[in-house]
Amino acid sequence: MLRSESLSCFRQGRWLFEDLDFEVQSGEVLQIIGDNGVGKSTLFRILAGLLEDYDGKVEIAARSCLFLGHRYGLNPRLTVLENVQFLMALQGEVPSEDTLLTALAKLGLLDETQQRCGELSEGQRKRVALTRFLLSNAELWLLDEAFSALDHHGRQTLLTLCQSHVDRGGGLVFSSHQALDPLMVDKTLRLGPA
Amino acid sequence: MGLLKRELRLLLRSPAEVVQSLLFGVLVVALFPLAITPDPDVLRQLSVGLIWVVTLLTSLLAADRSLLSDFEDGSLEQMVLGVAPLWWVCLVKSVGHWLTALLPLIVITPLLGMMLAMTSETMLWLMASLLVGTPVLSLFCVLGAMMTLGLNRGGALLLVILMPFLVPPLVLGTQWAMTLGQPFYGYLLAGLLCVSLMTLPFATASVARIAVGR
Repeated sequence: MLRSESLSCFRQGRWLFEDLDFEVQSGEVLQIIGDNGVGKSTLFRILAGLLEDYDGKVEIAARSCLFLGHRYGLNPRLTVLENVQFLMALQGEVPSEDTLLTALAKLGLLDETQQRCGELSEGQRKRVALTRFLLSNAELWLLDEAFSALDHHGRQTLLTLCQSHVDRGGGLVFSSHQALDPLMVDKTLRLGPA
Repeated sequence: MGLLKRELRLLLRSPAEVVQSLLFGVLVVALFPLAITPDPDVLRQLSVGLIWVVTLLTSLLAADRSLLSDFEDGSLEQMVLGVAPLWWVCLVKSVGHWLTALLPLIVITPLLGMMLAMTSETMLWLMASLLVGTPVLSLFCVLGAMMTLGLNRGGALLLVILMPFLVPPLVLGTQWAMTLGQPFYGYLLAGLLCVSLMTLPFATASVARIAVGR
């Protein structure tokens, strides 16, 4: 589903990481751990196809891939519902309003559907951004520090979401500062000084 | 269509941006007779060029407005990663720029023309030249804004990059209106619009891929 060979990235006068080899098969979870500034987000941006300035090879065999980075793609002047509708349209999917409302309800956002995203808290905005993961059929998920800024409920919901995605045979790559539930993770990649 | 709907929705939620463009145009045209001369004959001679220059400057002022917000909130990344062709996204952004920054100015052109003692025939040709020429300005502005996204002092760089490309529509547009519709200038301006429509969205799309990597 995803394979990287000798992946290296030189940015701002230093090697962020060198010769990374890893792969994610169908139904597997890869966790990327590392401190701030070790290149986790850069690696995610490379995997998502947003950065082309790297050495080595990245192959993605998944039919489709969803990426959640530090910027969620939510316009502050649009409502929660409008933002999710737009993000889904960008993925070429047009779910009905009922389906959208059901997904938003699962993420605890039913009361905020008509609220503008600029009025929401960081955690609420992250949950809005995660709605498209609930609705999409993408095979590979790339979640860069998706667990941060979420409260206990949001964190549990995301874990459940990830688990059901993996159970369906999807691939998952996520990053965090600390190791998460080892039962869920198949592989771990540690970035930073050796 | 979703993207176009979003641009229109954002336009309706940001009346201040439209008012800003209008206010700039009206203020410049209102101050001009005070600073130069109130003589109607002189104003009539200068009116076409003045309104075209005001339009060009308005388009520059609004160049990076919507792109900057899309870049900062991550929408641009999602647009690059999305399934919709990126050239289409860039074309829609240009339409959005034209609707918010330039169309309001074209709508009040008769008022600006009256303030400058313009004849009704010149006013009609001026509006025609603006309708054909201003989409070219929008296409170039979005390309330039995309080039400077995420760069320090991008605004100054934007002016330097864009100015040479904005001069041809300015010259052709003013000449077409001042000669009261001489076909030569009209054909050239329409040709420039066609070439811009066929090439610039693709160029902007290539630049967008670089911009999101910054």
